Amino acid sequence: MAKRIALAQLSSCWGCDQSLVDLHLGLLDVLPKLDIVFWPTVVDYKLADLEALPNRSVHIGMVEGSCRTKEDLHLLKVMREKCKTLVAWGSCSIFGGVQGLANQWDLKELLERKFIQAETVTDPRIPDENMPGFTEHITPNPQIVECDVLLPGCPPTSENTLDALTALLTNKPFDLPTKTVCDQCPMERKEKHIKKFKRNYEGNIEAGKCILDQGYLCLGFATMGLCGAQCPSVTTPCKGCFGPTPIMSDHGAKIISALGAVAEMEPEELKGSFPDPIGSFYFTDYAASYLSKMRGKERGQEH
Amino acid sequence: MGEEKTIRIDPVTRLEGHGALTIKLGKDNKVKDIQYNVGSTRFFEKFLTGRPMEEAPRIAPRICGICPIPHHLASVKAVEAAWDVTPPPAAVKLRRLMIEAKQLSSHAIHFYALAAPDFVFGPFADPAVRNVAAVLKHLPDVTVQAIKIMQFGQELIRDVGAKAIHPVTAIPGGMLNALTEEDRDKWLKQIPELFENVNKTVELAKTVVNAYIDVITKLAVTPTYYIGLTNNGVLDIYEGNVRVMGPDGKVVADFEPKDYTKYYGEHIPDHSYATHIYYKPAGYPDGIWRANTLARCNVAEKMATPLAQEALKEMRDLVGRPSHHTFVYHYARIVELVQAAEWIKILLEDPLIVSDDIKLTDVEPKAGDGVGIVEAPRGTLLHNYTSDEEGMLVHANLIVATNNNIAGIEKSLMTAAKQIFEDKALDSLKLPDPLVKT
Ligand code: SF4
Ligand code: SF4
Ligand code: SF4
Repeated sequence: MAKRIALAQLSSCWGCDQSLVDLHLGLLDVLPKLDIVFWPTVVDYKLADLEALPNRSVHIGMVEGSCRTKEDLHLLKVMREKCKTLVAWGSCSIFGGVQGLANQWDLKELLERKFIQAETVTDPRIPDENMPGFTEHITPNPQIVECDVLLPGCPPTSENTLDALTALLTNKPFDLPTKTVCDQCPMERKEKHIKKFKRNYEGNIEAGKCILDQGYLCLGFATMGLCGAQCPSVTTPCKGCFGPTPIMSDHGAKIISALGAVAEMEPEELKGSFPDPIGSFYFTDYAASYLSKMRGKERGQEH
Repeated sequence: MGEEKTIRIDPVTRLEGHGALTIKLGKDNKVKDIQYNVGSTRFFEKFLTGRPMEEAPRIAPRICGICPIPHHLASVKAVEAAWDVTPPPAAVKLRRLMIEAKQLSSHAIHFYALAAPDFVFGPFADPAVRNVAAVLKHLPDVTVQAIKIMQFGQELIRDVGAKAIHPVTAIPGGMLNALTEEDRDKWLKQIPELFENVNKTVELAKTVVNAYIDVITKLAVTPTYYIGLTNNGVLDIYEGNVRVMGPDGKVVADFEPKDYTKYYGEHIPDHSYATHIYYKPAGYPDGIWRANTLARCNVAEKMATPLAQEALKEMRDLVGRPSHHTFVYHYARIVELVQAAEWIKILLEDPLIVSDDIKLTDVEPKAGDGVGIVEAPRGTLLHNYTSDEEGMLVHANLIVATNNNIAGIEKSLMTAAKQIFEDKALDSLKLPDPLVKT
């Protein structure tokens, strides 16, 4: 019998959805196993239809995106109520996502930049009619409601999502690996003698050799190995979009201590190599970091 | 006598993005107001700042997972414009291959998964069946041909960009990864099947257009300005000048991306977080423009490739130029799908596509301002960044494709709502029997 599934999008880019659609012909096997009760991108059921379902009546709930608006918060809570198994789907959902980087600023600064100061704006105002209003800052979904399954990635690969769905459809556990991207990476590693960090437009990244060894910041060593090392395999540094391993550890702290161990540089010089440590070390997971939490506390905020 | 009432459709389905619709009806069903409420935004303009500028092309794709390639490329072009860098020709070809592949898959998914359910089952079918899962059940052959086009596009992007969603290989000064001859040959082999499926799509689109011609030519016909990129007057989605056409069909502006602030106005509505972009010299709301497929087909003199040109000519014979018919967006989408397929073939047959001379090695950041424009499937997309001497991004302005359409969507919804609620147009419009009865 098909299992009931709801797919909800909070503030997001829809990429996790697209990655499910990218199963292509594989969709023809999966779709018949699913009874879709909510998926606004694809079917015509409305929010009220989801709200009207009995609690815990949906077998699987997939939540993409993070809570940037109060409507997102509402939808997340409704999903939790209606679904037996709730999946935090993608790095936005688990860690806050790339938009979590906005936690470096106060909401007021964000609003002003977008609606008041942008150079093309001709009649500045902050929209408020029939509008949900924003959350003060982004809090990862698992800190707001209990999430039963975590599937990181920005986006998770189509195969990742299929694996998770298959496990859920067959009542098997879905466990995350303890491997890193380095463990999946075909680049040849040598002993590291990094004397200087280069920016990725500088020179030429040589194919076949470890990118970090060549002095470019590649975060494979601190990042969950689930993507098949997609980026380093084509001589492009890993930016850590799948978040840290183990899953809820502090990505930046891991990266900094590891870099300290391999770079043959004075601490000050090492620090100077990364003028934007937050963006460089917490690409999709700043909202989940200790640093962001401290900033939130300073502002006296909950979500 | 009817009471005043508000109809709210929340969320608007079969689109990506957070949209709800509010229709306010007065007594006697007079349409008083239409709001297209876009209820989310994530503030990329702000949090792009303070980062090394070469990171922007990695961050920006996350603005849209359906069209990350245009963001990746508009972003890298903005950085290159600010730093005064010109990538090697072979790198530009790879980028174009990637964006044409996206155009192909996005247009296919839009036509088959988002729009077709209405045409296949009829606009009044039960919502429970008016979706792609039902198309799959009732028309499996059509579904397979749709999926094959999407798959071709998405997997070709992956071969060039490493990831189909949020590609990573474009970098200031070129590309980080060459296309291997092996991969190129693999794709060339699939070209005949692609064209077979594209041709079938064109035939299906024509059938649908002819069946619904009464609706298409009468409902939601909405004169506006139009904006799109053209390269010497030819429809181009990777580079060129921005052209604006007035409602009367006259070209009112044709400018280089860097001059955009003279022409782009951004109206902030009180009821949407997505702002309304319009033709500034004409003021708001007179200057409301639309972007996306129909707009590009309106502003361009012609298409870049022969089969697409034939298709455009057929379309214009039917609906004229400019066409203000909102439903012709679907038709124009198919015209562009053909051009994307033809471009992909041309590029794959070009020996330079497998060149490894794809990256400059002497890129230097400098202080400057750069604008990068490409066409995303849903319209003209603009990234504008300011760099300091160290190449840190100190300021960003983004005009995403969709925002060029929001005011136009409201305007055409208003037209349609008046026709439906006030003139009872649904009683007189000729609707064909649905392709599939449910
Ligand atoms: S995790 Fe990444 S791909 Fe998924 S919605 Fe968020 S930004 Fe998009
Ligand atoms: S650091 Fe990067 S390139 Fe080196 S092995 Fe790890 S993932 Fe591969
Ligand atoms: S290699 Fe790194 S940046 Fe690339 S997809 Fe995997 S985790 Fe994300």
